[in-house]
Amino acid sequence: MFRKEVVSELRSRVAISSVGLFALTTLVAVAYQIGPYRIHEQDRPHLQAALLWIILFFGASSGLPRVFVKEEDAHTAKTLRLAARPGAVLVGKFLFNLLLLLGLEGFLVPLFGVFMGFAPRNLLALLLVLVAGAVGLAACATMVAAIISRATGSSTLFVVLAVPLVLPLLVFLIQGTRMAATTPDLTAIGPALQAVSSLTGVTLVTSGFLFPVVWHD
Amino acid sequence: MLRGISGQVSPGRVLVVTGPNGSGKSTLINVLAGLLRPSEGTVRYLEGQQPLPQQVWHRILGVCAPDMAVYQEFSALENLSFFCQLRGLSRSQSELAELLQGLGLAAGDLRRPVGQFSSGMLQRVKLAQALVHDPQVLLLDEPSSNLDAAGHQLLAALVGRFRTRAAVVVATNDPREVTWGDEILELAA
Repeated sequence: MFRKEVVSELRSRVAISSVGLFALTTLVAVAYQIGPYRIHEQDRPHLQAALLWIILFFGASSGLPRVFVKEEDAHTAKTLRLAARPGAVLVGKFLFNLLLLLGLEGFLVPLFGVFMGFAPRNLLALLLVLVAGAVGLAACATMVAAIISRATGSSTLFVVLAVPLVLPLLVFLIQGTRMAATTPDLTAIGPALQAVSSLTGVTLVTSGFLFPVVWHD
Repeated sequence: MLRGISGQVSPGRVLVVTGPNGSGKSTLINVLAGLLRPSEGTVRYLEGQQPLPQQVWHRILGVCAPDMAVYQEFSALENLSFFCQLRGLSRSQSELAELLQGLGLAAGDLRRPVGQFSSGMLQRVKLAQALVHDPQVLLLDEPSSNLDAAGHQLLAALVGRFRTRAAVVVATNDPREVTWGDEILELAA
């Protein structure tokens, strides 16, 4: 399932283009208006951490819900429902969203560093927060994408339904990113990472139970 | 939409469901496939005397319906290979090619993205998708839609082959297909 998603995306490049362009546009707009020097130095880590995750979330929102919506739009969802176990579909779609998010982070975070003058004090800590964030966001987005896939106006619905799941995650990711930017101590990101991991774990376990019902009803 | 329908289909038998547009033929196929949950009543597939849990219906059901598509960006071979892998089956490329060619697709078309196919060629890929795992129950909804005369003959031969080992349900309005049935269920409007 995961390989099918990757091959399909490499051939159509719809999600890559929309996520990449959306994130890049937001970054350029933010960098043009704010840039690194219009923020007071002591506020910089707070604002930069928040802006980084806002841009990543906006970029991701334009592509992640597509994993299920595209199956409904292309009328392949029924064929898939009849051929695949729900678990295989969930894991494949989740891994694809995770790959898309990691790719987005790999593309956007260095650019964010250049445009916004963002230089973390502990790069490893930042990497850990980014990976944890990608896993968490991919888990939330995949489950919400499955729920909204058969609804009309699914893009709007995605944002509405994703907010309660994603908001606490974003709060802790911003906190972790701020710590990675301000202190070289790796343990400083511990509490944020713990919270993100807990939220992600709960989302993944809940998804495992909920998805078969959502997928077949 | 569907009321008072009861019956059973055994391997080796063909049930043809017919009726005017809107009478519920496709709905019945969807219910039999487990894609729609009936508000009353049940669908059971028996293995021996034991009903199969719905989680494993995908192993025994082959379904071809107008609203069930295959992946446009993949070739016919890639589509079949993918659906085999999802079912945990391994089929060689030559086996898959043989199935597709048996349904009238030319060897040169097997590696082209199906998005470039005509609607008749696409219907043959959809039929192959329903047959690739050698299902014990074959559910066909308007199976000859978009097929030419040669395609229809192939389909008739295919149903003839399958009826020896599988239960076949065909929803159709085509008078030629009604003659395939051992039993005919006519739905009212």
